[in-house]
Amino acid sequence: MIGWLLAAPALAVLALAFLWPMAGLFRISLNRTTETGAMETALTTESYGKLLGDEFIRELVWNTLVLAGSSAAIAVALALPVALMVRAASPRWRGPLALMAIAPLLVSGTARLIGWMAILGDNGLINALLMGLGLRETPWPLINNWTGVRIGLVESLMPYAVLVLIAGLGRLDPRLEEAAATLGAGRVRTFFRVTLPLAAPALLAAWLLALVLGISAFITPRLMGGGRVFVLATEIYDQALEYVNWPAASALAMLLLGGLVLLMLLRAAVAKFAGGRA
Amino acid sequence: MSGAAPHLRLEGLTRHYGGAPAPAVDAVSLDLPRGALLALLGPSGCGKTTTLRMIAGLERPDGGRILVGGQDVTALPPHRRQMGVVFQSYALFPHMTAAGNAAFGLEMRGLGRAERARRAQAALEMVGLGALAGRRPRQLSGGQQQRVALARALAIEPELLLLDEPLSALDAKLREGVRDEIRALQQRLGTTTVFVTHDQTEALAMADLVAVMDAGRVEQLAPPEEIFERPATRFVATFVGRAARLAGRLEPGGVFRCGGGLALRSASGLAPGPAEAFLRPHRVRLLAPAEAPPPGFDNLLDATLARRTYTGEVIALETETAAGPVMAELHAGTDEAWRGLAPGAPLRLAFRAADLAVFPAP
Repeated sequence: MIGWLLAAPALAVLALAFLWPMAGLFRISLNRTTETGAMETALTTESYGKLLGDEFIRELVWNTLVLAGSSAAIAVALALPVALMVRAASPRWRGPLALMAIAPLLVSGTARLIGWMAILGDNGLINALLMGLGLRETPWPLINNWTGVRIGLVESLMPYAVLVLIAGLGRLDPRLEEAAATLGAGRVRTFFRVTLPLAAPALLAAWLLALVLGISAFITPRLMGGGRVFVLATEIYDQALEYVNWPAASALAMLLLGGLVLLMLLRAAVAKFAGGRA
Repeated sequence: MSGAAPHLRLEGLTRHYGGAPAPAVDAVSLDLPRGALLALLGPSGCGKTTTLRMIAGLERPDGGRILVGGQDVTALPPHRRQMGVVFQSYALFPHMTAAGNAAFGLEMRGLGRAERARRAQAALEMVGLGALAGRRPRQLSGGQQQRVALARALAIEPELLLLDEPLSALDAKLREGVRDEIRALQQRLGTTTVFVTHDQTEALAMADLVAVMDAGRVEQLAPPEEIFERPATRFVATFVGRAARLAGRLEPGGVFRCGGGLALRSASGLAPGPAEAFLRPHRVRLLAPAEAPPPGFDNLLDATLARRTYTGEVIALETETAAGPVMAELHAGTDEAWRGLAPGAPLRLAFRAADLAVFPAP
């Protein structure tokens, strides 16, 4: 009872600033767009029908899933050694190391992306180095394409993956790896036969969280893609502000939200399963 | 057991953790014959588990050597040492069945699937778990998990079997049975074994040799009876078993002069000076009012009964003497005298000179 009372202000803010606009968005998605492009109040699922039948939108969904899925996988793969290092560190260093791993979250995402542009651009650090050393004649296109978006996404997803993995691996008893060693397993075999299988639920949970964040990412595809990379989030923006087709933008946003909610439920189920195993 | 080269030899083994004022293990040296069971006994923090972990290769010594069968293994990583380790928490692989756990070490040795399945099953049958080979650790009780851990360690036919407090997680009722089973199995297989425990009963009941440890050092290394009856240091006398502690001075000729000017005979060859004497209750004989002490019982003390505690088999007596409090005990089944005893009753206590263990005062 007291809990509800204390949560009331936050719940009120949520209702006002999130649920109410979402309801409004849903309402708009049921409106109709006329031939001239004007919005007409209606109660129709026309916009949804158009979206689901649209070849381009289906390609966007696929592109978004591939981009977010692969970026999340790379982020988790890179986060695993970091999390293992934090776990192996002495208790004194564990806190500072974990903080360092998630420090990028303290810097604005836009500022970080502008930093990446300076590193990856045609005149950026990497290309200057490659061309200066004579390893390449022309700049290596690392930005304004899918590669650039993927690099930016991996970097922004990694801290989240590290956080989930540190929590997940914390439950893994180091005695299990010691037992494997005494039974004749070297470091590599211990890793693949004991550490990795036991870390699987944590890895899956980290990947699902990174996937959700990757699917909904907007700034990274927008800035790193240089207007040449199209995903669901950028399409919603374009529909709303470029083509002023609000019903289409709203319907797309609703579909994306539904998909993300499903993924979050899956993640919660995985976390529960992993917790029950430990 | 004597004459042959030791199977395990520790030479000045030392481990000093960074930041700690004193070493966790301080120049531990000992020899263990082939087939023997050594108990490392001591209070928590005495370095017994660190010593075991260094033998297993899980911790690197800062000094000293570990020799197994005459070979220096100090620099070998754990996976090349052939040590069967049973961890206190068992550390069974939760993602494998009991059979998978028992076969893991054999798989690492490159044995074929059929051969390792056969040997894993044999190991599980050896600990009486043949029927539960397909179960996962979380489907097994604590006692069953403990057996799987033992089977897993024995399946690799280890050079040495190392057990870290393997009974501490079991119910008190189960503990004694498992203790006897481990000892019987160890003797049948003839596996040289090191066993870490803080429980003196466990150590005394199971071991061929007991090393009593304190503050990183081995205080005494001896067979159980010798540890109990002839403690080599003041620490061993206080840590193992119960004993009355008398303060006084040692005088020439082994005479222990204590409270009230009383002179007790001891067999001590120590230099004269301030000393403490320890007397175990089971060594103290109660004399009837006019009874002469039996031959050899040179020490006589007049005492007053302070408290009598009935524990079923044994009646524990706490008495006051001029030398200080002294404990004695009677057997409920064979000593009838205790029935009439009430606090305040005068008693006469007798004990041998050799039963008084004298150490320099700390």
